[in-house]
Amino acid sequence: MRVLATEFSTQINFITPLISGIADGAAFGLLGLGLVLLYKSNRIFNFAQGEFATVAAVVAFLFDRGIGWLPKLPYFVAIFAGVLAAVLVAMLTERLVIRPLFDRPRVVLVVATVGVALFLIGVEGLLPYPQTASLRTISDVLKVQSYVTQIDGVVVLDQDVAKLIVLAVLAVLAFLFFRYSNTGTAILAVSQDATAARVVGISVERVSMVTWGIAGFLGGVAGVLLAVPPSGNVTPGAFTGLTLTIAFSAAVLGGMTSLPGAFVGGILIGLIQSFANADHSFVPGLNSLPNAQNEVAVVAILLLVLLIRPRGLLGREA
Amino acid sequence: MAAQTEVMTGFDHMPDRARVSLGGWALRGVCLLPVLALVFALPYHSDEWTNDAIYAAIFAMVGLSMNVLVGYTGQISLGQQAFLGIGALTAANVVNTGTTAADPFTFAIGIVAGALVAAGGAAFLGVIALRVRGLYLALVTLVFGSVTADAVFTISSLNGQDAGLPAYRPTALQGNFAFYVFALAMVAVCIYVDVWIRRSKVGRGLIALRDNELVASAFGINVLGYKLLGFVVSGAMAGLAGGVYAFWSQEFSDKNFTSGAGFSLALIFVVMVVVGGLGSRAGVIAAAAFFALLDPLLTGFAHHTGWLNWYTDHKQYIQNVIGAVLLLQTVIFNPGGLGQVLRPFTQWFSGKRFSMHDEGDAAGAALGGGSSVRA
Amino acid sequence: MSVLEVRDLTIRFGGLTAIDNVSLAVNEWEIVGLMGPNGAGKTTAFNCITGFYKPNAGQVFYRGEDVTRVPPHRKAAMGMGRTFQNVGMVKSETVLENLLTAQHTKAGYGALKALTGATAIRQREKELTAHADAILELLGLTAVRDRRLGSLPYGTLKLLELGCALASDPDLLLLDEPSSGMGPEESHELGERLLALRQALGVTMLLIEHHVPLVAAVCDYVYVLNFGKLLAEGDPDHVRNHPEVVAAYLGGEAPEELEQTEAPDEQAAAADELAEVAEVAEVAEPADSGPATGVRKRGLRRPRKEAS
Repeated sequence: MRVLATEFSTQINFITPLISGIADGAAFGLLGLGLVLLYKSNRIFNFAQGEFATVAAVVAFLFDRGIGWLPKLPYFVAIFAGVLAAVLVAMLTERLVIRPLFDRPRVVLVVATVGVALFLIGVEGLLPYPQTASLRTISDVLKVQSYVTQIDGVVVLDQDVAKLIVLAVLAVLAFLFFRYSNTGTAILAVSQDATAARVVGISVERVSMVTWGIAGFLGGVAGVLLAVPPSGNVTPGAFTGLTLTIAFSAAVLGGMTSLPGAFVGGILIGLIQSFANADHSFVPGLNSLPNAQNEVAVVAILLLVLLIRPRGLLGREA
Repeated sequence: MAAQTEVMTGFDHMPDRARVSLGGWALRGVCLLPVLALVFALPYHSDEWTNDAIYAAIFAMVGLSMNVLVGYTGQISLGQQAFLGIGALTAANVVNTGTTAADPFTFAIGIVAGALVAAGGAAFLGVIALRVRGLYLALVTLVFGSVTADAVFTISSLNGQDAGLPAYRPTALQGNFAFYVFALAMVAVCIYVDVWIRRSKVGRGLIALRDNELVASAFGINVLGYKLLGFVVSGAMAGLAGGVYAFWSQEFSDKNFTSGAGFSLALIFVVMVVVGGLGSRAGVIAAAAFFALLDPLLTGFAHHTGWLNWYTDHKQYIQNVIGAVLLLQTVIFNPGGLGQVLRPFTQWFSGKRFSMHDEGDAAGAALGGGSSVRA
Repeated sequence: MSVLEVRDLTIRFGGLTAIDNVSLAVNEWEIVGLMGPNGAGKTTAFNCITGFYKPNAGQVFYRGEDVTRVPPHRKAAMGMGRTFQNVGMVKSETVLENLLTAQHTKAGYGALKALTGATAIRQREKELTAHADAILELLGLTAVRDRRLGSLPYGTLKLLELGCALASDPDLLLLDEPSSGMGPEESHELGERLLALRQALGVTMLLIEHHVPLVAAVCDYVYVLNFGKLLAEGDPDHVRNHPEVVAAYLGGEAPEELEQTEAPDEQAAAADELAEVAEVAEVAEPADSGPATGVRKRGLRRPRKEAS
């Protein structure tokens, strides 16, 4: 690896984009996982998924700093509170918005999730806190050096390692959950045929709530991982924009109905995005754009997949 | 010759237009006066109000464009702000006279070019939309809006860089009220086109394909062609609004369309057309005017109650919350939106009997279960 | 020349051959029936003929022209009208608007011109509305002119659907189970109506039908499909008693001899009903003039070339 790195680093800086690409990709994969889960179970695109992430980041930030009348909690407790907030918001969304619209055309539900996202951005904006700040990094909290190792002068950040570890752990947990647990199987059953599931005694309402809770959890974890410097922050709507676009692209690339696909898609997109940003000649034609090369690269991939292979890399149905 | 089925009895038959007497029309005219006063007299007397009214007119045009695409054709669009921006950018670039007033001829070309280029962009989006299934379209339009703003509007040779690209009105339209009348004229153009969409095979074709593409084909409607037409007309209207927008603010600045600001616009436009009622012209215009005027109204309110500073800092978020709540309320409880609420009145104005009991309208059907979008 | 000819039509979905080498023809002014048990491929055949499916093999000819690959909306413009098994109309619009929409191909003006609101458009719209009103009157539906479809009973919807299919003055009508949901009296009326329409408008028809008395009353020729293959063809009488057809419907094997395989009393009752209906049908057709007498009665073997 060292030799390889030396060779490449004389031409392009290969390491930095690679590492940050995988790490960011892991976080995108988490968001994408939530999207795929809700698509499998409710057959909708949840445009509020990015806000679940933002809510978690904001709440964690509030508790970490002790803003207003909130107590200042230890970092990891604050993180936990943030994720919990995301889960609660997701479950409330399910109960107040999704449940009443259960039988409507899917596009109506999608519009409703847009409304939820808009609402959450508004509420976040009205809270009194420094909106351009960022969440503290893990290394900050643990008071250790910010990077794990260096390869040819390029650092591998603790935060990035954390992202990878968390994703790996959650990936395994998700796999086990859906394969072996009763609730996981119930979720898949309801997603295939709600009436049949009811007939065998599965409570569709409870399953729906759990599914959204899980989606909230995944979004929340992604949020607290991503809201750190240099590029992350706790601005209202932080993750409902480019990040959400990337998460959707990851989900679509992986195949909208494939949970493992969301991971794979996330990592791939993360890599594409970071390489496009680092070296504009990576994708032909990208050089001629003055801005937003990474966004265009990601969108180009998304469109390619949708037009040529809607099933994605690992999905089963178009 | 033909066998007779049993005669249907007990159903109401809507009275014909011809049955309204002269007195009836006079009454309708009188009731229209407050609306006319609001639209014409108030801006005439207050310059600030005029400015806001122009913004409302711009929003009304975008609302009508969304109505054609989302309401009639049933294609969801989360990126309509891209066409507004394309229209504005094109108009500003065509005119390109710096700080001198544009001459009327170039101005006219600029406005028309804005609409045409936006229509072209919409055609491009439409071609992609044809190949993508229902829900994915939401994603594609979202992404289209975002990329157009971030990648196209930021091209420095086009957008005048940090200072923005100036777009000065011709001398005749320098006065706010004069420009307002021009803006109203553009709204009238959009309404005219909308009326003729509804009254002709175009509207029927779009609505049919929204409802059921197979049946539309069987009726002889070229589904792919008409979908594209829906995009193009919608894009043209939004582009026209863009041209007016550029000359209203007298500059084009990409900051109004990129990232957060752009996305906010996109969402507000969706909220507008849903709250207005899909397929309802009057409802959409009313909702558009409401959202455009929300800021000035709330600013005035905040000024009088002493909340002005806090309001100014947080105005975008307050509008978000209001918009979101209205959207969710409409979707869950009142799918026909404002259009359904206004329906007894709009029906009456067009000469029919005043009846609170319409059997339901296209908007309600579209949102409540008639949509042909399948996941 | 035949109005519609289908040659060796084959279509496969994955591993399933839904239609296997089916050929049929419909001649001018005929009413032809397409029968077969559920799942035999009748609607699939319709979809191939009207262009919603592209067959793997075989051709569809309309008035001698190969239209196999022509898309549905252009076939509608060429003169094919069709109905759907589950009522196929624009559910969010009113009855009148549906009839106007159905006249899309005969609107007489271009889409872009429509947006200008020229006087010509106004005029055409009036004419289209008048035509729609005429169809409503023909079918006795004038009272529901401005109702939305959601509030109408099923029978009315089926009738309206027929009206929509007629709205564009088609030469060929493809009706998918027009009598579904109807009782014997209503079916009888439908049969009379179809015959009357044929006489008044000169349309040719291809019907998917299950209702045997209706087929017997109305159809000049019948094709029977089973498992995607053509099982039998001929005039209704012959086909009704064809052992393989009976076996397909009732289940069981076809016997070697060409004997009646139905239970005697069933057969007798059916024969009586048939005779009744046939009588009425004969009375309804006038002795001379018009397309009704132009129908060529086909024999057991349908000639490949035109018979006089």
